[in-house]
Amino acid sequence: MTTAPLPYMQRMREYYLALGYNNPYQWAHFAGVPFQPLRKSVSQSNLGLVTTAAPFKPDAGDQGPGAPYNAAAKFYRVYAANASKDDFLGISHVSYDRNYSTAEDINSYFPLQALRQAQSQGLVGSLAPRYYGLPTNRSQATTQDQDCTELLAMLQEDEVDLAILVAN
Amino acid sequence: MGSAKDIVEHCGVPRFVFSDFPLGNSAGKPNNRASQQQTLALALELFATAQEPRTTIQSPQRWSDDDQWKDEFYSIAKLSDDELAKRRAEFDQIKAVGQSVRDQTR
Repeated sequence: MTTAPLPYMQRMREYYLALGYNNPYQWAHFAGVPFQPLRKSVSQSNLGLVTTAAPFKPDAGDQGPGAPYNAAAKFYRVYAANASKDDFLGISHVSYDRNYSTAEDINSYFPLQALRQAQSQGLVGSLAPRYYGLPTNRSQATTQDQDCTELLAMLQEDEVDLAILVAN
Repeated sequence: MGSAKDIVEHCGVPRFVFSDFPLGNSAGKPNNRASQQQTLALALELFATAQEPRTTIQSPQRWSDDDQWKDEFYSIAKLSDDELAKRRAEFDQIKAVGQSVRDQTR
């Protein structure tokens, strides 16, 4: 029997209240959500992959599989990197489930390999020349006004038709 | 693609592939290419089929037979006062490091 999805907002609110922080986070909420129907098929589209994973940062300690939470590995500006390479990207800077996930396989949180396969099978038209990194900033104003603006410019520069954001 | 259903739907996104997995596996199970390809296939399908914003597809994949991970994640149920105080101190330190990194960023 499957159970209901974990209520993260409630769980995190209770956790931080129990720790003594009396300023519960207000998650983003939008009454209106944009939607653009596709103008061409997926198999004719240029796909861009957006990730919250972080590039390796020298002198920032353990950032790989099994690393404890590592605030030094955080990044605060959008980045873009060559999608034909297999760079290290880590999630040590986010609160993933460290008891049940080891982050040992980058493909579980960054599906570039699966996208390449999809492209070779003709399921997508093409892959953008870069993949894109989006900071996980508690400030929603910074996220919208700075990060999303910069990310959009990169996606447009690379003529991305369809963007997939993989959150972790 | 994500695994925190309530957070993503509270925000509202155009299209959402929800995988009911422990956080950190939004693209599929580790070391399981079929799971990863199937998860991506749902995203590609959703691009083609969604008709309106806030459309969610839930992946049919199950993480395991045991949903214990759902009870445990950030649960305070078994934490003593001492443990809570310890975690408070750790988080204060984490915040300080994060703010320092942010402040040093261009």
